[in-house]
This record gives sequence, structure tokens and C-alpha cells, in this order.
Amino acid sequence: MPSSELVRLADLNFGYGGAPLLRDVSLDVPAGKFLTLLGPSGCGKTTLLKLIGGYLKPQSGSILLRGKDVTHTPPEERGIGMVFQNYALFPHLSARRNVSFSLDVRGVAKSERDDRVERMLDLVGLTKFERDRLPASLSGGQQQRVALARALVFRPDLLLLDEPLANLDRHLRDQLRNQLRRLQEETGVTAVMVTHDQEEAMAISDLVGVMNGGKLLQIGSPREMYHRPLTPFVAGFMGPANIFSADFPGASREKPLMIRPEQVVLGEEAHHYSRSVPAMILSASFLGPDMMVQVTTNAGLSLMVRVRSCDSIVHGRDIRPGQEIRVGIPSHALWQIPGSDGEGIST
Amino acid sequence: MNPRPYLLAGPAATLLIGLLVCPLLLVIRVSFYQPANGRGFFTPGTWTLANHSALMDAHGLGLVGYTIAFGTMIAVVVVMVSFPLALFLRSLHSSLLRFAIAGITLPKFASVLVILFGLQQLLGDTGPVNRMLLTWGIVSDPLRMMRGLFGALIGEVFLILPYAVILLFVQVLEMDPILESSARGLGASRWQVFRRITLPLSMPGLFLAGQLGLVWGMGAFLGPLLLGSPENTTLSVEIQRQAFEYGRWPRSAALSVQLILAIGICLAALTFLHNKVSGRPLGGDR
Repeated sequence: MPSSELVRLADLNFGYGGAPLLRDVSLDVPAGKFLTLLGPSGCGKTTLLKLIGGYLKPQSGSILLRGKDVTHTPPEERGIGMVFQNYALFPHLSARRNVSFSLDVRGVAKSERDDRVERMLDLVGLTKFERDRLPASLSGGQQQRVALARALVFRPDLLLLDEPLANLDRHLRDQLRNQLRRLQEETGVTAVMVTHDQEEAMAISDLVGVMNGGKLLQIGSPREMYHRPLTPFVAGFMGPANIFSADFPGASREKPLMIRPEQVVLGEEAHHYSRSVPAMILSASFLGPDMMVQVTTNAGLSLMVRVRSCDSIVHGRDIRPGQEIRVGIPSHALWQIPGSDGEGIST
Repeated sequence: MNPRPYLLAGPAATLLIGLLVCPLLLVIRVSFYQPANGRGFFTPGTWTLANHSALMDAHGLGLVGYTIAFGTMIAVVVVMVSFPLALFLRSLHSSLLRFAIAGITLPKFASVLVILFGLQQLLGDTGPVNRMLLTWGIVSDPLRMMRGLFGALIGEVFLILPYAVILLFVQVLEMDPILESSARGLGASRWQVFRRITLPLSMPGLFLAGQLGLVWGMGAFLGPLLLGSPENTTLSVEIQRQAFEYGRWPRSAALSVQLILAIGICLAALTFLHNKVSGRPLGGDR
């Protein structure tokens, strides 16, 4: 049976002289899926993307594309679409000519070329009026659309996206994020995106991979990554996490436990849970839909708790520092983190 | 209007007006005087077009034509040599780049005369290059590289090149290398990337280097004087000869005015060509 992996990376190593940028990275990207590589800056995620694209060569390891070894194939022969972080639009060509570039260099006939370019620009939603403009006179969002159209117009089966939404303001980012996902589903292209925004990663992806210090720590579905992280770093990077060690039945004292702030129960309701203890509020910050409350139990355990702003507990009594409150920890919400971050990896 | 920013231009403006504009106006006036009869540089109080119309004869037109051809050749050679060099410099790692830049600017620390006489010795009929060619039997008679167009050309290119390379290097450095990477990712071969991305984006720099070569080449004096042939000279050499050898100052002034006009017209033509080729004004926003 042929494997369903479009991309297979095996033991990739990369670095210039000093500290390696990538260490033994192995990864499979299933065809048609959206994979997001998540990690802090300098973790090697962009380097990994450039290796897949052929813009860099690994020191060791191999890259298989459609089952073929392309480790030493130049980018122009890989047939991969890429959206660069600053879009890298050609400043001397109009939006339309930027998009047609890949068809021009392939010698696609004019009528077919124009047809494909216009349809792709329709698909990304660039108005007719904007298509003759130079990139410099387009807004960030419009440039992003042109970059996306340019990367997809030659119908690659793999699309690489390097922080494609990072340079946009928040409102536009959320809008384009959904559009990006829809476009990926419509075209059926396999996508590998790089970002440092975990919310973006979870919202858009079938699979999320978390990287740190040149290593791929874990890869899985957004839910898996959020609720079942394999290391404390992954737990913390996927979102706010309470990580502590405590004696609980069935839990090992050596491995840390994790609970997400929204899973901790505050107030009278906490009595319903077997693990409920008195605590004191240290601080509370209002975040709009939620409030983030910092509490410390009488046993000295410090916890972050996320409460919905419209919750009766917020309305009933003011949540203010110094106030005593009951904290409940549902056992089913506790997750024992099996792995450690290992030496050499900073959190 | 706030006058203060204009004050900053004061020292430069003073120099420009005092040492360039005023003498230039004087030169223009002198070009319309009748020649001196016996005493002084010209006959005061006279007006004539004879100095200017003298250029319209075959000899004069030949002089102008040769000057324009010489400037154009210099411009072409300078661009063809400095563009690949600038691209090479861009590809260098910064530690090596420092040495490369130093190597390119080093000739500028030597006197122009030292460089030109050095070239004369090196490439002369009995110079080391010719002796080597003769010894190896590549030529049977010494190659005549000096005292002609080739010598003048080599000399001037040698003098202009460092400036042109630095100018072009700054221009190609502005080009984000990611543009070329992304073009390759879109399926362009190395040649297609050069033809469709690198070259068009370097166009303003190429034309600026060309302008530099043209202005310098048309005004060239020392190269044609020391390494060129006496029969074929540029306007600059003739200007000097008319004034200092024949004492015809009004004629010399007229030639100077003509040279400035010729350079202006050639520059305008080059700018027009650039705007035609790239579809936008030279020196404008890219």
C-alpha cells in the first residue's frame, strides 16, 4: 500500500558552525492535511520550512516528497508553493504579473495563463481594481492575498507558509486565517505553516507540531496537544497551564501534573469535587470574556483560574485580592505529563 | 517658511556659487569675445559667434563625436565590469566583504598620475605584458595597447571603476535576496531569475553607474592625454591645448561650453532611455 505521506522528513540536522539549528527532526505530513509548526523564535521552525522548500540544504538526514528523495533537488524542481513572511512580492511587477510569474517561467500559453491567474485572484478575493497595482500600493492584507495566489496558481500539492499572518493587525488576521483554511480545503493542497501564535495554530490546523531548541517535541491534533502534552514545555506553549507535583491517587510523585486554568472550579460549586480546598485570591485581571484569577491554596499551591466574566461568581461577589474562596480540582481534568523537556532545552 | 534647514546648505552653496557658477558664467562670456590681439586673453568689449561656429567644421564635429563615442564606450565598459562584480560582492560573507571593498577602493589612495604611468609601463610596447606575449610566441610584434583608444579607455575605466562598483553594490544590496529565492521556488531557472528579477531590479543602479561613466568619460582628460593618441583626442584635451598651447582662450571657452552642453544632452538621453525601458522615472521611488 502506498503511504499517504506527502512529505517525510528523516533525521534532519542543520546548523552553521556553532549550535545546531535543527537536531534529528523526523516528521511525516499526511497528504491533504494542514500542519502547523509552533514554537518560540529561534526554535528552528522557519529553518525546517526552508529545508522542505529547498532553500537550505541539511547537513544530514533526508527529505522525501511524494515518496521521492529531494534532499539535493533545487527549489525550482520541487514544485512547492511558498508564502514568505514578508511575502517577497516582486516590487517591479503588478499583482497580476506576480501571480502569473510561475506560469510565465513554465511557458504556459497566454490564454490559459490569464484564465488561471484571474480565477486564482477571484478565489483569494482581490478586486479587479487592485490587480494592476504594484505591491507597494497594496495594503498588507492585499499583499498577503497576492502572495497566496502566487503560491497556489501553479497547482502545487504542497504549500509552505512562513508566519503568513504575522504582519497583519488582529482583526484582519482572524479573518484571513479562516480564509486560508477554506482555501486549503477547497484546493486540497497539503499545507505546512509556521507560527508562534498557538491560538492561530489550533484554529487552523489538523496537526500541530511544537518545536523548541531545534527539536520537534511533539506532534498531534490541536486537542491532543492542548490537553495531552508530552512535556512541560509543550503544555506551557499550547496555552496557560498550572503545572505542579502533588500526591494524588494513581499519580506518580516524580511526574508533574497539569490542569488548564479554565478547568479549575472556583466558589461554592467546588464542593461538588472530592478535591476541594480553601484558598485565597492573590490577584484578578479582567480579559473581556474571561477573568484570570490567581489563587493560592492554604497548602501553598499557586493556581491560575479562568472564570467567565458573565459567571454568577463574578457578579454575585466581587472577586478581589485577599478574599477567601473555595477551589475545586476535577480529577478527570488532571493530566500527568509523561516526559521532561530534557537537557539543553530552555522553557 | 523656516529658513533654518536652508542654512545647513549654506557652506556648500557658497562653494558652488563662488567656485562653479560664477566662473562658469565668466567662461560663457569669454566664449563670445574676439581672440586677443597681442596682449591679454581676449579683446574686451567685443561679441562674436566665431568661436562657437568653428566647432561646426569637420574637425570640430569629429572632436564632439569622438568625445561622445568615448564617453559611451566608457559607460558601457564600466557597467559591464562593475555589475557582475557588485553581484559577486553581495554574495560574499561580511568578513570577506571587508577585504574585497578595501581591495576595490585601494587604487583610489594612489595618485592618478601614478596609476596612469603605471599602466603605461605595464601595457606599453616594451612593457612586461608585451614581453611575456612575445616570449611565449603569442604575438610576433608588440601589441599596441598604449597611445590609442584602447589605452585611453583602459586608463579611464581604471579610474572610474571603484566608484561605479560601490554605487552599484549599494543598489544591489537594497534588493532582498529572498526575492530571488522565491522566484526559484516558483519554478524559475537561475537564468530566468536573473533576467526577470535581478536585472530589472538593478536597472536604476545600472543607469546611475552608466551616467557616472558617461559624465566622467566625456570629460576625460588625463587618460586620453597620457595613454591616448595625439590625433584622436577628447574635447577636454583640446580645451587644454587651445588655451595653453595656442593661447586661444575664447576658443577654449567655447569648447568648454559645448562640452557641458553635450554632456547635458547625453545625460538627458540616457535618462529618457531608462524611463522608456523601466517605465518609471530614474531616481524616483521604486
